[in-house]
Amino acid sequence: MAEKRTMTLNLTDAEMNVLDQLSERKEMSKTAVLRQALRLYQMLDARLAQGEKLFFERDLTKEKAELMVI
Amino acid sequence: MSEGSAVYLKERQSGKFVEATLLEGLGRAEVEAAEALWIPFLQDALRQIKDSGIPKEEWPEHSHWDWRQKYEATEGLLAYKMFGIECGSQMQGMMLVTTAGKTCRIASQRGKQLVYVHFLAAAPWNVPSIVTNPRFSLVGSILIAAAIHLSLAEEFSGRIGLHSLPQSDQWYSKGCGMTDLGPDPSIQNLRYFEMTPDQAAEFLK
Repeated sequence: MAEKRTMTLNLTDAEMNVLDQLSERKEMSKTAVLRQALRLYQMLDARLAQGEKLFFERDLTKEKAELMVI
Repeated sequence: MSEGSAVYLKERQSGKFVEATLLEGLGRAEVEAAEALWIPFLQDALRQIKDSGIPKEEWPEHSHWDWRQKYEATEGLLAYKMFGIECGSQMQGMMLVTTAGKTCRIASQRGKQLVYVHFLAAAPWNVPSIVTNPRFSLVGSILIAAAIHLSLAEEFSGRIGLHSLPQSDQWYSKGCGMTDLGPDPSIQNLRYFEMTPDQAAEFLK
């Protein structure tokens, strides 16, 4: 297992509430949720930097909507 | 640089267990070294298979996989991890997984995170559809166990998922005890399999 380092994170109440909700819904610790978020964000950033776009597709209608990522 | 832990492969001919190393987080050099051995072996074996008149549907299905390209496409991305099993200075199997962005489809686990196995292959000399006398068994089982352990470490409770090539469908359902969720039209109609936390615990026994 790779060595881990600790950091302090300052979040607003709203951000902490979302983190709490995600942690409960996903049955994962807040640390695990944030690590997931970092991985996804890095992957999206890399794909967008290559000129790709991110879409969500409705399973039934196959309707696509582009997601704007800052 | 990859991290290693001891595992045991079964040498088919002698029936003996042989110590090997499970490598987590393969580097470029390790993938290139594996391909340098796998590709010529595969090319030779495929030539023999074609010459012997074996029907095309029985040819090995993953012989076209380009592991170097897979490594380059995912290099540096935290969401992807490549595993390998090394024994006798040779890579005996490799697996590429992702730990982000994939969730369960089984009703009881729907929406929960899982480790998705993108690609899993044993070295060509270990594959019964490629050689008459494969060298080692347990390569696939050890790699699936590694995916489950990663799932546990990521707090996904052992949940894993994958799309299977037709020649491996039986192994994933019967050999691994995964749930078959049927053909997936979005992935070339390959059958999609998932492992629940209970199935993962059973597999690791």
